Order: sequence, then C-alpha cells, then structure tokens
Amino acid sequence: MISMPPSDNDLHAYVDHQLSEADRRQVETYLASHPAVAKRVRAWQQDAQHLRATLSATLQQPLNPSLDPTVIRQRMKHRSRRHLASAAVLMLAVGVGGLGGWQARQITLLSAAAPMADALQAYRLIAQQGVLPADYQTGDEHSMQGWLDRYFTQADRLPDLSAAGFKPVSGRLLSTEQGAAAMVVYQDPSGQKISFYIRPPGPRNFLLPRGSRRDGELQAEYWSGPGYNYAMVIPSDTPTAQKLKQTLNF
Amino acid sequence: MNELDDQLRLLIPRLRRFAVSLTRNPSNADDLVQACLERALSKWNDKRPEGDLRAWLFSILYRQFLDAHRRSRRYARMLEFFTGRDDAHPSAERSVIAQSSLQAFDQLPAEQRALLLWVSVEGLSYQQVADILDVPTGTVMSRLSRARQALRQLSEGEIARPALRILK
Repeated sequence: MISMPPSDNDLHAYVDHQLSEADRRQVETYLASHPAVAKRVRAWQQDAQHLRATLSATLQQPLNPSLDPTVIRQRMKHRSRRHLASAAVLMLAVGVGGLGGWQARQITLLSAAAPMADALQAYRLIAQQGVLPADYQTGDEHSMQGWLDRYFTQADRLPDLSAAGFKPVSGRLLSTEQGAAAMVVYQDPSGQKISFYIRPPGPRNFLLPRGSRRDGELQAEYWSGPGYNYAMVIPSDTPTAQKLKQTLNF
Repeated sequence: MNELDDQLRLLIPRLRRFAVSLTRNPSNADDLVQACLERALSKWNDKRPEGDLRAWLFSILYRQFLDAHRRSRRYARMLEFFTGRDDAHPSAERSVIAQSSLQAFDQLPAEQRALLLWVSVEGLSYQQVADILDVPTGTVMSRLSRARQALRQLSEGEIARPALRILK
C-alpha cells in the first residue's frame, strides 16, 4: 500500500503499470486534483510512448541468417572440435618437446583447417540448409559438365552415379582465396543429397593424398586430380553411403 | 532442444533491437546478439533461467556489451596515449544536435538506455531489472527516475531549439 501524497517512485511505478489495482486508483484520484504533478506524469508517459513507437521500427529488420540458433550451434560445434583437435596435437607436441614440438605446432597451425573443410561447409549451407541458392539447375549430366567446364579447365569429369540412383541437379559457384570453386549437388529419387566439390589447391591446401574423413553427420572423400582438389560429401551412416562407396571405389 | 531454438528465434528481433539501442550500430549489434546466443546456448544445460527467458537473454547480452565496452575503452585510452587524441568522447556537435526523440535517447548513457528499454518498451518488472543488474529494486527505481528526467531534459532541449532545425 502506498502513502499519500505518492512519492516519485510511486509515480514511476504508476507510469510503468507496476502498481496494484487499489494503488493505481488512489494515484489517479490524487492526480485528478493535482494538475502540476499530473502534467509531469503525462510527460513521462508520452516519452515512454514515443520510445515504444520509435524503437518498434527496429523490430522490422530483415532476418540475419547467421543469427539462427541452428547455424550458431553448428558453428560452435565446429569450433570446439577444431580446438580440441589442435589442443590434442599441441599436447603431443609439448610431450615430444623442444624443437620438434615447435615444429609440430607449426604443422598444427598449418593444418588447423582440416582438408576440404570448405566442401563440408558448402554442403551444409547449400544442400542441407538451402541458405545459398543454386546458380545452375539441370536434369542431365552433360549440361552440368558443360557448366563446370566453363570455369575449370581439364578438371576430372563428374562421376557417374546413376547406378546408385543419383543425378546431378544443381550447381553453385563459390569463391576461395585461390579462385573459383564449385559444388554440384546430386540427388536420388528419395531426395537424398550428396555433393561433388572442386577447388583450386591453395597455398595450404596442397594436393591431397586420397583420403576420407568424417565430420559430424557427414563423410568427405577427397582426392587431388589435375590442377584441382576434389571432394565428395555424403551423409554418413545411411545405406546410400554404403552403396555409393562400392560404386565409387573409395 | 528444438523447442528452445523456436523460442530463441521468436526473441531474436527483440535482442537485436536491444543490441542496436546499446551499440547504436546495426552490424556491431548483430555481433553482440550472436555472442549472446552462443553464450546462452552453451550455458543452457547447467545454468538455464528459472523465470523469463527474455530477461535472462537481456542480462547476458547486457553483460557482454559492458565487457566489450570496457575493452574498447581500454583500447581508446591506449590510442589516446599514443596519438594524443581522445576518440572516446562524442563530439560537441553531437551533443548539441538532438533532432528526434531517438537522438535524445541515443545521447543517454548506456545503462539509462537499457533501463528505459527494459521498463518502458519491453515492460519488464522492476524485480526482473533488479535481477539483471544485480541491485535492489529501490536502486532500479531511483536510476529509472534519473533516466526519465534526463530523457525529458534532452527532449525538451530539442523542442526549445526550433531555430536550429529550420537552419539545418
């Protein structure tokens, strides 16, 4: 229960609708017979109203996809895994000690970007989340190959995965520090997606020995061919992945 | 997990608005929101809020803003030391020209902006604000009173200076 005349705090609480019903009525009665105080209170109310009106415009900003919780979770998972891996190798380096350790550290830093991490990232952005739209869409392999050949000279041919039911459906050009990269999405009739990724070898992305690595729910198979590095990204642990492995002879 | 993500998605526009009113710069604001969401997601398992999710997020965002602000102030002092200039203070011009209520609002110190947004715009209770700032509710009320007074003076200053606006 507030006392009369109302204190400044009571008046603020009145403006902010934080008084009980009884107190609110008491303040209103008081204001009705004290015009000077009522004027002050009204000014506060108007300021608050102004502020609400002005700031409501900020609620209408266009969406920023990088603030989506799903994207943020993925980024965090990614980062922590990379930190863990680097930490493990650093520990090892400290164990080995001395100059050798220092060199191991250099190697860790160089390879902190795991091979073809960009292929996996592109798969997530394009095939899984649909954040980036396709540049080129087609139903047949020839025209897709034609599209790729516009940007890459003498690159490996797109693998023929029709035996496993996969056909190239869309392509997207991406940029890397070393030049153009591209990702081609294959799809099977059930809607499963896998991707073919091609990029120029960067200063740190030297030609790769044929290899395979798992990152979360994805499996990347990578190799180097004439002039470029390649990767196929496949959702792991699916029957499709098994079938493809046989088809592709990884 | 997905239920939390859905709730967060609904609150993102409000977090961005709060961040803009603190940083006065949309792209810094989004960095702040991103840092806030990362923190919230990583804290969720062991320190989830008992009450209002919105108030909890506001308090994370506000704390991160203060930390970043402190860091940049330290940087500004260092810069001042080396260059003999002080970039941290708003120019005289900026504090004179107040053309809209938003500009009056933008001239208030960060804590007063946060207070007014929480109470007047978001409608948080004094108790919730007290929890965010970790002070008694009485302190919240007296700071709020000061913030209102300051906003009033700045807006009145604007009304009392019509000549400035006509000249532009």
